[in-house]
Amino acid sequence: MNAQQLNRRSFLKAGISAGGLLLAIPLCPRLSGARTPAGDSAGGQWCVYVTIRPDNTVEMVSPIMEMGQFMRTTGPMILADEMDLDWSLISFSRRIPTLLKRDGKGEIVYDHAQIGTGGSNTVRSNWDYLRRAGATARRMLIEEAAERWNVSPDVLDARDSFVFEPGGGRRISYGELAEKAALRRVDVSRIRLKGRSEYRIMGRSIGVIDARDMVTGEPLYGIDVDYPGALQAVIDRAPALGADIASYDKAAALAVPGVRQVVEIERNIDDHWPEGRAQIVAAGVAVVADNLWAALKGKQALKTQWKNTSEYAYEDSEEQIRSFHRLVSGNEPAIVLRDDGNVDEALRSADLVLDRTYEKPLWAHACMEPLNCIVDIREDSATVVVGHQWPHRAATEVERITGIDALKVEVISKRMGGGFGRRGEVDYLREAVMLGHKIRRPVKVTWTRENDTEHDFFDPAAVIRIRAGLKNGRIHAWHHRQAQTRGEPEHVCFPSGLVPHYRVERFPSTSRISVGPWRAPMQLQWAFAVESMIDELTHAAGQDPLAFRLELMKPHKAHPIEHWSADVIDSGRMAACYQAAAEMADWGRKRPPGVGLGIAGHFTFGTYVACVLEVSVNEREELRILNAWGAIDCGFPINPNHIRAQMEGGFIDGLNAALFNRVVIRNGQVQNNNFGALRWMRMREAPARIEVRILDHGHGPTGVGEPPVAPAGAALANAIYAACGKRIRRMPIAESIRI
Amino acid sequence: MPIDLTVNGKPVSAPDSKADMPLLWFIREDLRLKGTKYGCGIGQCGSCTVHVNGRAMRSCLLSLEQARGASITTIEGLAGKDGRLHPVQEAWLKIDVPQCGYCQAGQIMTAAALLARNPAPTDADIDREMTNICRCGAYVRIRQAVKAAAPGLKG
Repeated sequence: MNAQQLNRRSFLKAGISAGGLLLAIPLCPRLSGARTPAGDSAGGQWCVYVTIRPDNTVEMVSPIMEMGQFMRTTGPMILADEMDLDWSLISFSRRIPTLLKRDGKGEIVYDHAQIGTGGSNTVRSNWDYLRRAGATARRMLIEEAAERWNVSPDVLDARDSFVFEPGGGRRISYGELAEKAALRRVDVSRIRLKGRSEYRIMGRSIGVIDARDMVTGEPLYGIDVDYPGALQAVIDRAPALGADIASYDKAAALAVPGVRQVVEIERNIDDHWPEGRAQIVAAGVAVVADNLWAALKGKQALKTQWKNTSEYAYEDSEEQIRSFHRLVSGNEPAIVLRDDGNVDEALRSADLVLDRTYEKPLWAHACMEPLNCIVDIREDSATVVVGHQWPHRAATEVERITGIDALKVEVISKRMGGGFGRRGEVDYLREAVMLGHKIRRPVKVTWTRENDTEHDFFDPAAVIRIRAGLKNGRIHAWHHRQAQTRGEPEHVCFPSGLVPHYRVERFPSTSRISVGPWRAPMQLQWAFAVESMIDELTHAAGQDPLAFRLELMKPHKAHPIEHWSADVIDSGRMAACYQAAAEMADWGRKRPPGVGLGIAGHFTFGTYVACVLEVSVNEREELRILNAWGAIDCGFPINPNHIRAQMEGGFIDGLNAALFNRVVIRNGQVQNNNFGALRWMRMREAPARIEVRILDHGHGPTGVGEPPVAPAGAALANAIYAACGKRIRRMPIAESIRI
Repeated sequence: MPIDLTVNGKPVSAPDSKADMPLLWFIREDLRLKGTKYGCGIGQCGSCTVHVNGRAMRSCLLSLEQARGASITTIEGLAGKDGRLHPVQEAWLKIDVPQCGYCQAGQIMTAAALLARNPAPTDADIDREMTNICRCGAYVRIRQAVKAAAPGLKG
């Protein structure tokens, strides 16, 4: 076979729906026609997401997981556009196929699309694959038509699910071509990806494909699944990190009608992101019953007593924050992450130096859908039903715990009722697999909200001290010193590269409190401290906050950075976002007394966001959030509707986090484990209106889900200052002002 | 005495032994109507909102005993019998409100009950009545959709 040929072998499968044809297209990993091992029939990637029926309708299954970030819509848009499908002819399956394989090192990886989602990376990790898959399918259809018409494929074109002869000639539907087209081989050199001006689906505002199912209450989520024969389990988890079971009343739980079994789950300790430090999956007592209500009642009847004597019992979130203040205010050496120029000398010679400290507590994820997982562990195979950001982990956890080959694990992926990083953790998979393995029956584990909060992997608490100096009206020196529960500052963000004397340092972390990725991990705290300090410098220098920022961004330049999510940070693109947000807000218009505007921006995941927030604060220090304006440059805007929604929701998520989110841990135990005690933003506290502008300077698409979150905290603090002169440097902000 | 009630126009019955079971679990687990969601179990988040005799209520706080004899409407029963969506559902689609979507059934039920009583709500009315938590922060579009569905705000 010609090594230049794209297909290793032809492939045709029965369609998902009766009468349909599944176009399963083998694709080489690279368009360049790199040689794949001879005889390796599974060597390429496969596009298995599109079924074209003879009547030209299409069924598409989503190539990407969905947690509210629109990827079940955006992924198909990319594929359909390159394939030149008529979007209106596509119906969308609820399935999200979780196709796995073992790579050369024996690791379980995704076959076909990178189905997992996180790090605002989902579009970028699938961008090339989905475009190539679509373009290859399009070429196969065109070549099939060319053969039938006995013309060169190069004189044919395709649009809206038809191949046609330009100039008003013949046309033929994909439906008529699909069966034969799927058998074709395509020369890789003939595959051409579209240029941006040729997109017909991408760039359009398209609604969420599942919207109708969601507004009619269809069972889309893991928690909605009734798995045949599954028992229902609720686990009484140790309320304190690291506590062990002392006693429980097994007989009382078993006496509840419907309760079948009471099973202990051992405490589990795992290396964990970031820094590979040990983190705990709590011990618990599982009550397994015929129905959920019986399991819940059985859990109550257990009256479990806990031994809270481990080293984790000393964890105290408030004491931790006090210790962070001691660290950043002292002279202990810290880990230096970046050190440009001579910060100490520059601070000494500055015209004006501000020394300010900013504080952030632990944040809960509080996904609206409490965690849940169904497992069915059989002799040598298993099924897991779960909404997980990285669904391959369901298969690898089964393999690790039971020894069943991960490739014999069927993972049925469900839409997630929020993820925010929490649904990237393995704890809720592991626990369900351990239980299912013990009881040898299909079982569904449902978490209570209280447990969901107590056993969260929080966004780290942090205290950040910045000393910054002005010289001739410009920032001359910047010294960022930070202590945090875990992790490190996002030191590649601005003002890095913009200030000649610049040092970022952090203290090592010693906490045992569990932390994990939280939508834009540790980004909001960076932007809160940096953009608050910039604001404070502005006012100290008697300058305008917008003009000061625009000046700071000069000269406009793409600074190289070392970060997994981007390789440059461009001050010109950031400046354009500030400018656009300010324009929308009518920045120069004087507001009435008690009303103020705050501006803040942030770069992350390759994307630039700036926003302006308008608030009022009355004489009783009552805060009201009025309007917001946000500008985003995320490169090519694939679905402007999606980007607007993420700007609105992400900004509100950031405001909520800055205003209210705060988990308190005492003696290793979460003290505020449900909504109410854990305050959360509602309609009346949110901006009534958020206007969004999408800037497009011709760059490739970058992250959207997380960048809008980060600037919200600083925009709020800066707006409050503008409205009433009160500078709030401590989150949650609602503890310093009334709302 | 069994507990009789009406759910989406159909008579249903539960044994008296389930008197203390929250209506939420009866709807989700016994009737297998999964659109009504569990979010907090303490009446805070509103994901479990249903109509009880036409009023929006949090079904996690209502026991079956308290629901005895009541007429309950869940999200599955909001659309007309002919399958035509309720105007609030239509507005939700038009504005493209949902993100993760988990809270949306509760939001829609709250909005539908609000508009049934108050066909032309002000922003302050919406602020007061729409107390459901949306973790994704889709409040801007929820507000727009409530207004778009309000019969008294048309034209």
